[in-house]
Amino acid sequence: MYPKMDEKDKLEILKDILLADEHEFEEKISRRIELLEQTVHEREKLSEKVNPIISHQLDDFTKNIPETLGPTITETLKKQIKINKDEVVDALYPIMGKMVKKYVAQEMKLLSEKMNNQLSFLSFFKRKFKSGVTGQNENEIMLGDLATASIQQVLLIEKDSGILKASYSKSNAMDEEMVSGMLTAIKSFVEDAFNQRNQELESIEYELYEIHLQSFATHYIAVVISGNYMLSAKNKLQDIIFDFYNSFMAMNLDLVFETKNAQKSIVPVPKSRIERELAKYFGHAQL
Amino acid sequence: MHSSKKIVVLGHFGVGKTSLIRRFVTDTFSDNYKVTIGVHITKKLVEIAVDREVSLILWDLEGTDEIESIRDSYLLGTHGLVFVFDVSRPSTFEHLGNDLKIVRNKVPETPLMVVGNKSDLVDKAELKTVLDENELSADFLTSAKTGEFVNELFLKLATLLVGDA
Repeated sequence: MYPKMDEKDKLEILKDILLADEHEFEEKISRRIELLEQTVHEREKLSEKVNPIISHQLDDFTKNIPETLGPTITETLKKQIKINKDEVVDALYPIMGKMVKKYVAQEMKLLSEKMNNQLSFLSFFKRKFKSGVTGQNENEIMLGDLATASIQQVLLIEKDSGILKASYSKSNAMDEEMVSGMLTAIKSFVEDAFNQRNQELESIEYELYEIHLQSFATHYIAVVISGNYMLSAKNKLQDIIFDFYNSFMAMNLDLVFETKNAQKSIVPVPKSRIERELAKYFGHAQL
Repeated sequence: MHSSKKIVVLGHFGVGKTSLIRRFVTDTFSDNYKVTIGVHITKKLVEIAVDREVSLILWDLEGTDEIESIRDSYLLGTHGLVFVFDVSRPSTFEHLGNDLKIVRNKVPETPLMVVGNKSDLVDKAELKTVLDENELSADFLTSAKTGEFVNELFLKLATLLVGDA
């Protein structure tokens, strides 16, 4: 026989039966809260959960910088330049000054060369004199004077390592990779020796050839020239080099744009493509 | 597939840097010692696997007892380094730890091989004693004279660099 239950006990039993599910739910909730508290308070556990989200957000942010922050940055820069005009002038002066100085000096030399050509009757006497002193045939001297500069070889070289990126050559007489390394070593040595890291070696001369060196930020171009390499020829060559370099940079900029789209990986410009461009620009160039 | 890598070989005077390179590039050796002035550049094409060639552009720097004084510009853009000491001459490895630290500061994160050269001048037991006594740890013990481990050294570096690329 069961003991007699009063109303209170009955109610308790009824409550237990009815609220059994709720108890279970309550326990579940409290376990989850405990877990959450643990996660929030323990740095490592929190990092585990939060880092992927932050990293994803950061990726999105980086990808969207040009669109979201681009205009603000441009505007801020404009404002800062306006406010700090003197500082900007100070910073740019050495670079611009050097460029202007170089340009003026070259133009002056060009002018003087043109004037010399105008006074060609003097050349006649000069040739006569030279022929008399050296015993060399006057015609040979004249031919030598008239030998026009011609591009023999062009090397596009990585500035720091001296690694050859691409080349164009009318004859394959030398090991271009070794020459590129050697030129870079000579360049480094000269620039170091004069302790002038902001100045660049511009040319190397030897009897029959001259190597014109044109430096850019990450690469430099070495052009081997035979014949009479006058300043007018140098001017033309520099124009060709700048045109080519713009095209080379454009090829690299394609890569930059590709990498902006993070889904695509960097595809290096094939050497063959750069060499085609080198041949196009320098192959038939008239100096 | 072809790629080019700049390797700088450096160390104290007369440790055999030029001889190591000559042995590797032309498989020759000469007792006639000529001091390297500035830098000398040579090249060797190495096949590290089928259809996988690497041009090693070897920069042989002039020897110096002051590793600090090595021109930074020669080290720019270097893909790999070989630091050579002479196992028969303690003055070239007495401060090896410090020398390597200086090199590491100049070109951090560039693969570096430490090489004890002229192993033919010291007998094996003596060599072990020298290494143990001076707590030296070399990646290779080579002899430019006999050619021992010279190819292996450069081949290992080339493989390492191409793996890095």
